[in-house]
Order: sequence, then structure tokens, then C-alpha cells
Amino acid sequence: MGKEYAVELEHVSKIYKLKKKDEQKNSSNKSFYALRDINVKVKKGDVVGILGTNGSGKSTLSIILSGISDIDEGNMIVRGEQALISINTGLNQQLTGLENINVKGALMGLSKKRIKEITDDVIEFAELGDFLYQPVKKYSSGMKSRLGFSISLALDPEIFIVDEALSVGDKGFAQKCMRRMEKLRDEQGKTIFFVSHSLPQVKEFCKTGMWIEGGKLMEFGDIDTVCDHYSDYVDKYNSMNDKDKKKLMEEKFEQRLITDRKTSFFDRLFSKR
Amino acid sequence: MLKSVRYVLKENFSNLYRIFCIAKYELLADMRDSKFGLFWNFASPAIQVLTYWLIFGIAWHKKPIDNVSYLPWLVVGYSAWWFIQPCIQNGCNAVFSKTNVITKMKFPVSVLPATICAKEFFNHLCMLLIAIVTLFICGYYPTIHWLGLIYYSFCAFVFVEAVSLILSVLTMLWRDVKKLVTSLMRMLMYFSPVIWDCHFDANVPFHNILNGLMKLNPVHYIINGYRDCVFYGKTLLDHPVQGLYFWVVVIVLFVLGCMLMYKFKRKFIDLI
Repeated sequence: MGKEYAVELEHVSKIYKLKKKDEQKNSSNKSFYALRDINVKVKKGDVVGILGTNGSGKSTLSIILSGISDIDEGNMIVRGEQALISINTGLNQQLTGLENINVKGALMGLSKKRIKEITDDVIEFAELGDFLYQPVKKYSSGMKSRLGFSISLALDPEIFIVDEALSVGDKGFAQKCMRRMEKLRDEQGKTIFFVSHSLPQVKEFCKTGMWIEGGKLMEFGDIDTVCDHYSDYVDKYNSMNDKDKKKLMEEKFEQRLITDRKTSFFDRLFSKR
Repeated sequence: MLKSVRYVLKENFSNLYRIFCIAKYELLADMRDSKFGLFWNFASPAIQVLTYWLIFGIAWHKKPIDNVSYLPWLVVGYSAWWFIQPCIQNGCNAVFSKTNVITKMKFPVSVLPATICAKEFFNHLCMLLIAIVTLFICGYYPTIHWLGLIYYSFCAFVFVEAVSLILSVLTMLWRDVKKLVTSLMRMLMYFSPVIWDCHFDANVPFHNILNGLMKLNPVHYIINGYRDCVFYGKTLLDHPVQGLYFWVVVIVLFVLGCMLMYKFKRKFIDLI
């Protein structure tokens, strides 16, 4: 049952602890719902665009989906291996581009043989030329992300999670990346979660839309409808005056707060979860 | 308990190449940082040994210990210490220093302490080379008993791996652990037979108890083991009780480390 779904989320919540403000020494510790009660079922081979304003929980969702972070409440079933495409992690500033293919490849858990196989592909895709033999600290930020993204493509999981990875690099390279992603989508039928702020990109690439606002799921469905509703919301928000904006922000923040007891070092050490 | 041990062992052994690669390229990056690179991996321990020898051996006229003059005696003990000390100290930071990786990648966190140990093991080999050269100069030549060094360096590796597993998790929970360990390392050095033989003379009150207490330190077993192999031609069977005690301590530490690692493997990201 439910085999056709790649990811099932049932009442999933993620809670972060907040630091106390200095003037509120006596108040109890506060926690904060980064995500609250998310219910989503994603079919295999689906391409989901995750939308939402800053701080609404998109990145939290992507690290939960990729299995890096644990959920605090609810159930999550993931069928298949998942991988988060992260561009700039794992590159060592001191080493050359060529050596960094080994470094990042090893960090991602590729075997020695596999790294050898992909090296030529990466070199070709990244288009670094002679800079390949320069230390990465000399690279421009665009070159770094080109190298990083090219290595990331060597991963072959069933579920891809792309968190604003394509918003770097120049237009030409971004298009090249998109084409590669489309290949993954169409030819290999991967399930892809795609976080981006670029609405046209999302509209073009994704089949399903998922809009998160203030840690809550607002809408899940056909990409065009979700995109339209989302852009309406953003337009409405932008047309408000500063006072109303602030009020809305505070309201949203208050809704996500939960006060709880203080947890000490030893509580954390011996707690069950 | 068993589940956690199995988990950590499986993760480490299925990622041997990953451990090797991370250690290799971190060493390489360190070397690129400075102009002389590899030279410092040899020079810094040599300078340390030289300092201790000048102060304790020359200035304070340390007498030969069990018929071995001070310099070769020091160099062998210090080579073991040169492995244990940085491993424990950097082991604290094993997970924390890789924050950017574990927050952005699905990564087997439990291999990180092993990468630190592997990296320091290379430095250990450099230091052993210095020790061997010094021994040649002082007139000690390899015997079959030197092979015991393989066993004792394995002991040292397992010990530091266990300790850094525990410390790396504790540092994530409680950042002060690193500061605490850094200050305690100096103490540990003087309570281990690195620069003196950790043996109280008969004129010291309670010398029997104190000498017994010194032997409870697992580092004592490792460092004296190194020396036994090189100078005294003893094998590991000459200290059965201490050997057994050492392995019990190491296994307890390792299991504890595995349990901590297993419990927090997916919580680290929230602890940063």
C-alpha cells in the first residue's frame, strides 16, 4: 500500500529552540515551530517546486526530506535514497579544482573507481579550463559553484532535493544546469524537490507546487495554480504599508511560538528522543 | 547497546575510502597552507623533543632510566604521545569542525573521529621516523621485538578513536568540553610516562599506592609498551594484567562512544 508514493509526510513538525533575549532572564525557554503539521504525499517521479517567503521553512523542509535532520513530531516515510544537492560544501580552499573533485567526491561517499569515472565529466561540465589546476581560493564565486554543482551531479539517488542551487552562476550555466535537471526528470524519472525563488523557473520545471508560509502548508497541487496564489500573496504583502507588514510578521511569529520547560545538558543526554 | 556498536562499526568499515580520502586531503591542505609543507610535520615534533631533552636531559642531568640514556628513552615515549595528544585534542572538534558538511549533506557522522585519527597517524609515522633515526645515532638497532610496535600503535589507535568518539559528541552538546580537554591534556602528559618514568621513589609517602594509580592510566600501558618493544625486548605477554585492564577500559569507552554517537547522530544539526 502506498508504494507509488516516494515521500509521505503525516503531521510532521520541526521545532527549534530559541535563545532567550537578555532582558527576559526570568522567562521560560521558548521553542519555535519551524514546520507545523505538514501533510503531503508525493508520487514517485513527481517534480515538486517548494515556494515560500524567506524564513517560512523551505530549507528546514529540504534538510528533513534529505534525512539530515530528524523530525520532532509526526511520521515520515521515504522510499528510496535521497540526496541534497549542496554546491559549496566540501570544497577545500587550499586545494586545486582537480583535487577538490576527489575531496568532494569522497565526502559524498563515492568510491575511488566512481570518482575516476566522473572526473572527465565534471571537468567538461564545469568548463573551468586551466583554472582546474589553481587552488579553489583563487576562484570567483561563480566558478566555485560551477565546480561544486558539477560534482554534485555525480550522485545518483532516487530522490533529489535542490535547495536554491541553480540561482548561482551566470545565465548560460544556469540554463545548462536546468537542461541537466530536465534530463534527470524526463529520462530517469527521478523524484525532485526544487526550492527556488525564481517563479518562472519553478513554473517551467515543476509539475506540482507546494507553498509553505510561516511553517504551515498553505497549498499543495498543480504548479500553475499554486504559483498564481503565491504571487498574489506576495503582491498583496508588498502593497501593504510598513506598519501592517510588521504586524503580520509578528502575528505569524507568535503563532509559531511554543513555551516549554528548560532542558539542560543532562536532560538532553538522557532524553528518549 | 549492541545495535549502536554495530552501527558505528558498519558505518566506519563501509566508508574506509572516504575516511582515507578526507584524512589525506586535509593533510595536503595543511601542507599547502605553509611554504615548507611536509617539513613541518617533521620539524615540530623534533623541536619539542629537543626542548625536553635540553631541559630534563642536559640541564637537569636526568639519569639513564633502566640503563637507557635519556634521549632515546624520551624520543620513543614522545612519539607515542605525539599521536595520542593531538588525536584527543582535535577529536573534540571532529564533528564540530565539519559543521558545514553535516548540515548540507547526508553524511555518516560517526566516521569523523576516525578521519582525525587517520590524519594524526600520518604525523605519528613521521615522528616514528625521527625516533628511529635518533635510535640509530644512539646505537640501537632493530630487533624482532620492534614488531611489537605494530601491536602497540594499534592499541593507541583504538584508544584514541574511542576517546574522540565520546569527546566529539560531548563537544557538540557542550562546547566547553573542548576547553576543558585542552587544559587537562597538559596534566595527562605529566601523569603519563612521557618525559619522566612516572615512578615514585621509596622515600615518597604512599609510593606503592601512587605507582599503582599511575598504572591505571591507559596511556601508561601504550607508552611503556612502545619502550618495552624498543629497549627491553619484552612482548605483550609480559604485562597480561595491565593489557587486560587496558582492553577493558578501551572497550567500555568505545561502547560508550558508540552509544552517544548513535543517540545523537541525527540531532547534531540542531545542536549547532
